Amino acid sequence: MIPRLEIHVPEKMDEVLEILDSSKANCRIIGGGTDIVPGFHIESPRFAGFNKLVDINRIEELHEIRENDENIIIGAGATFSQIISDSIIAHKVPLLQKAAHGIGSKQIRNKATIAGNFVNNAPCADSVPALLVYDASLRIQCADSARVIKLEEFLEGPYETNLQPNEIVTQILIPNNSIGLAGDFYKLGRRRAVAVSRITLGLLYKIADNKFDEIRIASGAVTPIGQRFYEIENFAKGNEVSDELLRTIAIKAGKKVLDLTGLRWSTPHKLPVLQKALYNLLVKNCLK
Amino acid sequence: MLRDISLNINGKIKTIRVEESKRLLDVLREDFALTGTKEGCAIGECGACTVVINSDAVNSCLVLIGQCEGVEIITIEGLEQNGELHELQKQFMEKGAIQCGFCTPGMVMSAYALVQSNPDTTIEEIKEAIEGNLCRCTGYTQIVDAIAH
Ligand code: FES
Ligand code: FES
Repeated sequence: MIPRLEIHVPEKMDEVLEILDSSKANCRIIGGGTDIVPGFHIESPRFAGFNKLVDINRIEELHEIRENDENIIIGAGATFSQIISDSIIAHKVPLLQKAAHGIGSKQIRNKATIAGNFVNNAPCADSVPALLVYDASLRIQCADSARVIKLEEFLEGPYETNLQPNEIVTQILIPNNSIGLAGDFYKLGRRRAVAVSRITLGLLYKIADNKFDEIRIASGAVTPIGQRFYEIENFAKGNEVSDELLRTIAIKAGKKVLDLTGLRWSTPHKLPVLQKALYNLLVKNCLK
Repeated sequence: MLRDISLNINGKIKTIRVEESKRLLDVLREDFALTGTKEGCAIGECGACTVVINSDAVNSCLVLIGQCEGVEIITIEGLEQNGELHELQKQFMEKGAIQCGFCTPGMVMSAYALVQSNPDTTIEEIKEAIEGNLCRCTGYTQIVDAIAH
């Protein structure tokens, strides 16, 4: 059942901040609504206890995608359809474009927003591993201040983030030093469309003299929240790119996931699939 | 909360007084008797409730009417012009793309959004446009065929 709600549809950012400031925990932000509305039906406790929604779809600045000297700046309210068709994203943040393409269906991508995907912080949020390998940060605003935080610090646990009730994520910042790295995004779902991800992987790298000058790996869906594998990245950096190294990286990643999740009913089949998927992704991209 | 909402449905401006957290799907079916739009899953997975809002195909089961002030909505009932079916509707009938018909309105609206934005579509684009529309009967081949023509 959808509760009785007051719905605000402001046109200016200031109004959004004011509503959030005056109503605090009584109010939620609605972007695409693709998580909130189904959440009402299952009476999810995550979508209960408030009586106001503030719809942010008419705030123009939240849809802007642009770049400056330091960052690619993605408006938090950009829909996945917008991200897929944007030329800056296509050229400079291609993994995000690929991840966006695999999300939901055309109808979902037309509504669902990038910030909605990670503010909800489901373990299977597809944008997360892609944004993590790009070292994304978020700009967060409230009525009287603003802050910038790294995405990985923002994501605190499954369905939990560090966002306060009076705050809104306004921008996703992709630092320029993440641009130009080669990479790939992998998603395994039960079917191609409208499927919750079982495994997602983001990979960015740079090879010089057949050695890993840079390598960044992040996973989603297999870990409680999407995350980077820094230890493995550091282990790989500076090493000669060989079949054996790539195999070792994949095995280590599997072990790391096991450490993080413990043994589950799905471990015996999921772990080898994850290792194989990462190995294949590394071979396909890095072994020439 | 009850609120007056004005919106453009199938080319006509309408105003209603309605509970603002009512789903667009229910408003279309109950308040405007536009029952061509169907409810399958209610969670954005089946596409039976697809309508076109400001040129985009959208699941009307995921939209609350309070978000709709001033928007332009086209439903399956809006495709017919002067008593004549839209070309897509004719093709669906001709190609046998309809069996039980439950998915058809949503399917046609996804196809409509596609051909409005891009009349020269490839088979891949057609498949992508209808990937959020489930059909339990036809096996999709005839549907893709109908949209391609
Ligand atoms: S009823 Fe809306 S997608 Fe199924
Ligand atoms: S014709 Fe029956 S579901 Fe498509």
